[in-house]
Amino acid sequence: MGYKWDLSVIVRFLPVLLQGAALTIQLTCIAVGMGILIGTFVGIGRVSKNKLIFTLSSIYVTFIRGTPMLVQLYLVYFGLPAYFGTIPPLMAAIITLSVNSGAYVAEIVRAGIQSIDRGQLEAARSLGMTYPQAMRYVLIPQTFKRIVPPLGNEFIALLKDSSIVSVIALEELVRKGSMIAGRTFRAFEIWTAVALLFLFMTLPITQLVNYAERRLKQND
Amino acid sequence: MIKTVDLQKSFGSLRVLNGITNEVKDGEVVCVIGPSGSGKSTFLRCLNLLEIPDGGQIYFDGVEITDRKKVDINQIRAEMGMVFQRFNLFPHMNVVDNICLAPLKVRKCSREEAEARAYDLLQKVGLKEKALSYPDTLSGGQQQRVAIARALAMQPKVMLFDEPTSALDPEMIKEVLDVMKALAKDGLTMVVVTHEMGFAREVADRVMFMDEGLIIEENTPEQLFNNPQNERTKLFLSKIL
Repeated sequence: MGYKWDLSVIVRFLPVLLQGAALTIQLTCIAVGMGILIGTFVGIGRVSKNKLIFTLSSIYVTFIRGTPMLVQLYLVYFGLPAYFGTIPPLMAAIITLSVNSGAYVAEIVRAGIQSIDRGQLEAARSLGMTYPQAMRYVLIPQTFKRIVPPLGNEFIALLKDSSIVSVIALEELVRKGSMIAGRTFRAFEIWTAVALLFLFMTLPITQLVNYAERRLKQND
Repeated sequence: MIKTVDLQKSFGSLRVLNGITNEVKDGEVVCVIGPSGSGKSTFLRCLNLLEIPDGGQIYFDGVEITDRKKVDINQIRAEMGMVFQRFNLFPHMNVVDNICLAPLKVRKCSREEAEARAYDLLQKVGLKEKALSYPDTLSGGQQQRVAIARALAMQPKVMLFDEPTSALDPEMIKEVLDVMKALAKDGLTMVVVTHEMGFAREVADRVMFMDEGLIIEENTPEQLFNNPQNERTKLFLSKIL
């Protein structure tokens, strides 16, 4: 119990930690953005009557959700170079996080579309709209509202999970923490600071999600 | 205008339509009555291929629409308006946008043209002042009248009504039936699945009684209601009249 806290370590290395946090946020934002793009198409594929589209999107979602992100990262970073030559760590991280996020967003989109009353599709089709038109003008706009809260949760999950890319030497928040802790032998202080920084990033999003959920409930 | 020949439909092992042969003529108002589970909604939903029949043919204006290779089903549906029991208005759009969407996207009308017609139709169903309201702020009867206007905006050759008043509170049924009566008077071809016998008696040119996936009896409303021939028709009418 003789351990003495040395907060000066945190103060001294806070700018470095913040650099790491900035990269964490950048990675997460890019990945979720790409994830929404991928997930929207794959999610629509998951409710498609076209067997090929349905099967392909299902395989993608099942594979990503059923394997550890760490393994996916290794596949991209160490595996893909077999075909494509060396991939820079940042590129590998963005690819892995985006592809991973895409699968989870796809399930959110699928659930969102399926939560819309069947009568909406029937009404649109009865007016002569094609299936893509009905999707675009009637179903998808209605899913937007419903998928905001789960998308927020996906953002939080990915923000935390992005720390995995520290294993390929990307200096995001966890990697920075690890470097400083190793150098200063002040593991407790540094990891506490890292944890708090994550909390500062996720808390506002949690609040935002809660707020959005309350707003949406009022509207329903 | 719509001819069906030996129309058949099953859901799994349940046979819902057992061979329906019928013709709806231009300008005719046909009411379809019968106990629940008799297949009348399925029959109606087959007419615009919301349900794909398992057997038989449907001809619309002489063209076989059950031959999927020959026809673009979206074009056919654009000519057939449909009104649902549960209205199915698009909740994320206001009333005018609900009405304009299909004319804009399917008919490629200009916005001015689509809106002008939307306001005309809203006038017709008595809801011009609700043009910019959203569906969830309207009563059931108002929503159903908007749904009728939305279907009419495509200027369909025939209107299909699937129990349009069954989800309404009693005091709102009349306002919807009144709109439908006005349409019938204008000479619109209509197929109406309904439990409103008063409406069928007053407006229909022909009433079809269905049971167990078959047309048991059809006749003018006077004949069918006052002088039913089939035992099942008599039994059904005795229960509801």
